[in-house]
Amino acid sequence: MTPREWARRLWATCRRTRSDRDLEDELTAHLELAADEERRRGTPEGSAVRIARLRVGAVAQAMEAQRDQRGFAWLEDLARDVRFACRTLGKAPGFTVVAVLTLALGTGANSAMFSVINAVLLRPLPFPFPERLAAVASIDLRATAGASGSASWPDFFDWRSSARTFEHLSAYRETGFTLVDGGRAFHVPGAVVTSDLLSTLGVKPALGRDFRINEERAGADVALISDSIWRSQFAAAPDIVGRAVTLNSRRFTIVGVMPPAFHFPVSVPAAQIWITNAEDARVDNPADSPMTAERGAHFIRVIGRLRATASIASAQAELEVIAAGLARAHPDDSGNRGVRVASELDRLVGDTRQSLLVLLAAVGCVLLIACVNLANLLLARGAGRGREMALRTALGAPQRRLVRQLLTESLVLATLGTGCGLALAYGSIALLVRLAPVTVRGLDQVTIDGVVVAFTAIMGGISALIFGLVPAFQTARTDSGIGGAATARATQGRGQRRLRGALVIVETAVGVVLLVGAGLLLRSFDRLLRTAPGFESQHLVTATFRLPDSRYPYLKQILFYDDVLLDLRALPGVDSAAATAPLPLSGSRYSISFQQSGVQRPQSERLSADFGMVSPGYFRTLHVPLLRGREFSDADSDVAPRVVIVNERFARQYFGDANPLGQRIKPGLSTTEKEMPWREIVGVVGDIRHQRLSEESRPAYFVPYAQGLISPLSLVVRTNNTTGIVEDIRRTLARKDPELALYDVRTMDEYVATSVATPRFQTLLLALFAAVGLTLTAIGLYGVMAYGVAQRTREFGIRLALGARPAEVLGLVLRSALALIAAGLIVGVVAGAFATRLLASALYGVSPLDPATFAAVAAMLIAVALVASYVPARRATRVDPIAAIRSE
Amino acid sequence: MSNRDSGKADILQGTLDIMVLQTLTTLGPVHGYAIAARLEQVSNGAIQLTMGTLYPGLMRLEQRGLVRGKWGVTENNRKARFYAITAAGRRQLAAEKAEWTRTASIMHSLLNEAP
Repeated sequence: MTPREWARRLWATCRRTRSDRDLEDELTAHLELAADEERRRGTPEGSAVRIARLRVGAVAQAMEAQRDQRGFAWLEDLARDVRFACRTLGKAPGFTVVAVLTLALGTGANSAMFSVINAVLLRPLPFPFPERLAAVASIDLRATAGASGSASWPDFFDWRSSARTFEHLSAYRETGFTLVDGGRAFHVPGAVVTSDLLSTLGVKPALGRDFRINEERAGADVALISDSIWRSQFAAAPDIVGRAVTLNSRRFTIVGVMPPAFHFPVSVPAAQIWITNAEDARVDNPADSPMTAERGAHFIRVIGRLRATASIASAQAELEVIAAGLARAHPDDSGNRGVRVASELDRLVGDTRQSLLVLLAAVGCVLLIACVNLANLLLARGAGRGREMALRTALGAPQRRLVRQLLTESLVLATLGTGCGLALAYGSIALLVRLAPVTVRGLDQVTIDGVVVAFTAIMGGISALIFGLVPAFQTARTDSGIGGAATARATQGRGQRRLRGALVIVETAVGVVLLVGAGLLLRSFDRLLRTAPGFESQHLVTATFRLPDSRYPYLKQILFYDDVLLDLRALPGVDSAAATAPLPLSGSRYSISFQQSGVQRPQSERLSADFGMVSPGYFRTLHVPLLRGREFSDADSDVAPRVVIVNERFARQYFGDANPLGQRIKPGLSTTEKEMPWREIVGVVGDIRHQRLSEESRPAYFVPYAQGLISPLSLVVRTNNTTGIVEDIRRTLARKDPELALYDVRTMDEYVATSVATPRFQTLLLALFAAVGLTLTAIGLYGVMAYGVAQRTREFGIRLALGARPAEVLGLVLRSALALIAAGLIVGVVAGAFATRLLASALYGVSPLDPATFAAVAAMLIAVALVASYVPARRATRVDPIAAIRSE
Repeated sequence: MSNRDSGKADILQGTLDIMVLQTLTTLGPVHGYAIAARLEQVSNGAIQLTMGTLYPGLMRLEQRGLVRGKWGVTENNRKARFYAITAAGRRQLAAEKAEWTRTASIMHSLLNEAP
């Protein structure tokens, strides 16, 4: 067909220039003219029309042929088929409801899951040309995995000045500010950033200006504020630029307001105030060296905008050369440092990708089961329509026309099911987001958008083909020669029974894979929850506050913490109170190098271990067992001899069986001392899972905060009054200094819950999907067995008439069900053994081939199969022989 | 969807258009029945067009703008749709006629070659 003819036909279809009526008139006229001629030849009036019709053909057939020619016949056929399908489905409401619900479950789960994947993995970062944003990290070449992804200021400055593959390279770190407003102090999340961060991201302030390069120098106290702070704290004042704001008791000049949608760093809670790295170039004591000069201190993140001509790989190659140069120039600090460039989106998504894809595969399995169920339903229904098909074939419908009609029915079902599925997904997203770990990027923006709708529609279409194609061909394959009931029986041959059996096997196998996956995750999650973190998390309330350096020089901070702890311990209902940094399971970890007395190593090979600052009574407060020696006491003050407590793993790794008490280590940690002091080990405590419940604790050492305070401390209070205590703590603090803000107020149990949020999310969803899958499988099996029994009513009647005992008939049916299930189990177990490898990284303490899980799944499926086939089997034993035989 | 005599129609497909156009050139505007009768007569009854073959063909020609149909009245006072060849139809006929003659002469000389 030429394009012109296409257009003309389309036009004809739309306009219907010649109506059916017009065509029919013309054909009738033709027939009349032919009859006239017959009459002229002397044919008797009675038979003239009949003979004419024989000669020129029937009007109806010519109409059909002409309709084909007229426009796009398929378009008209489609409309007719859809109308017909709707009528047919309307006449079988039971079937329709079951089919639509099955599909709604399958597609709804898929589109909900996909909307999450769309928001987290697919939706680009909200910056111009987001694909050119890359994360750069300094890595320890000796570490095999789990590199931290951070960098040090001097490394960053060197990268920035020499890298040519980046248009801009910027650094940032998250921080918090205490903002005092109207006598009330509160905590505002914020970030320290380099002056060109906004250029890197491709964003401009909505009001005012960006930072300038000379504002990276110490003393340039300038800030950008978020739109929401501007509105809430400054009443959206139009003259905000140039005004002063007091952050951490220091005055900053506001130079601009960011657009409302600006969200960077991509973390929760979102930063509200940005200041320049002048903050880290500042020193309180002129003798100190600023953080911007500490090449060994890796605590900033780096993001760059690649040039249009550069790629991740070329940037990686260039920075490796630069890093190698730095390693030569600064062997002590950078000797073992390499560099890693990754796309910013990949860095943010991290290992979430794997677990989301596993979940998507799982919902895919659920949909597959739903489709198989529907195919089975349609096959059974098709068998009942043999008479209809035979009649339509006899009336001249070609087979492909029937197939198309049946496929249209499937499409209508799919459309209804997918529509309900979308509604289901829409309703379940809120729930899904609530269950999801909050820290995953994009999860706060899960919506049903165009992409999700398109995905769902395509999925619905594919489903319709999967569940509709085979039944359509089966049903339409009737022989028009045999009419009526005989045809209806003829289609019940072995072929079809085998097909239905195969579908059950597929369904069972997919169900097994789902169940095995869910079983493994459940077992692993159970293990995780039973894992003791090394301390007792119940009845612990934690909170943090920040002492501004400007008003609290080093020693004053220590005294303040001492004082606060003293007051907290006196509060009613408080068992004990302590302070620490970093807080276990809070996500932050300090790793600091140390030297071991009597062991000489070059500086670049220095050992390092986890580090913590604690108050006296910290381990007692957390119920961490003291294995040897003593805990810190108030006597371990800033003037007392330097002491340190190590954990069990540290003791074992560095001292083996020897007694570590009295041994000395020298942490690379200096505060007020001229030189780093040696510290004597005075105690050994039990191991704490600091980072994650699933991660074994590393060697760690702790110093009294009075002998090495390097960051704000968190308060830890053990109390029976976990709700009321928060106000008490707040009041205690406010009495001492009303300009301090308490933040991150949470119970330790909340930290524990957050640390298992990701596995819980994955486990819960997979278990849910598996439950849906199992239910659908059971329904499918029930359907097949019930149908099989109904088909074999006569056979059972004869068997019973010939003296078979009901138990034998029951066994016959159950055996055939078990044979199908067994085959499905075998296929499923083999497939499951491969599929669970995908889960390996998500499992904790359980092997992907855990025999107990596989056995439990098999037992469960067999039990479900027996229940699902028992009802039809019972029915088979109750067949009345006489009635069964007569009915034929 | 075509009905079951589509096989026969397919054989005629290429030639039906040219036969109809030629008939319309010879007879002037006539209705469908007259075209069928004329073809039957010219072919001595070898060509008997059913409505299912003739009218889709006519419709195709009309869609391509080669003929134009208009309702009118026959000499017996019956309503019928009369078809007339258009200018485009005449050009098409001339082109196909030349092509057809060429093919026929090639076939003729080929089939009558001396062994």
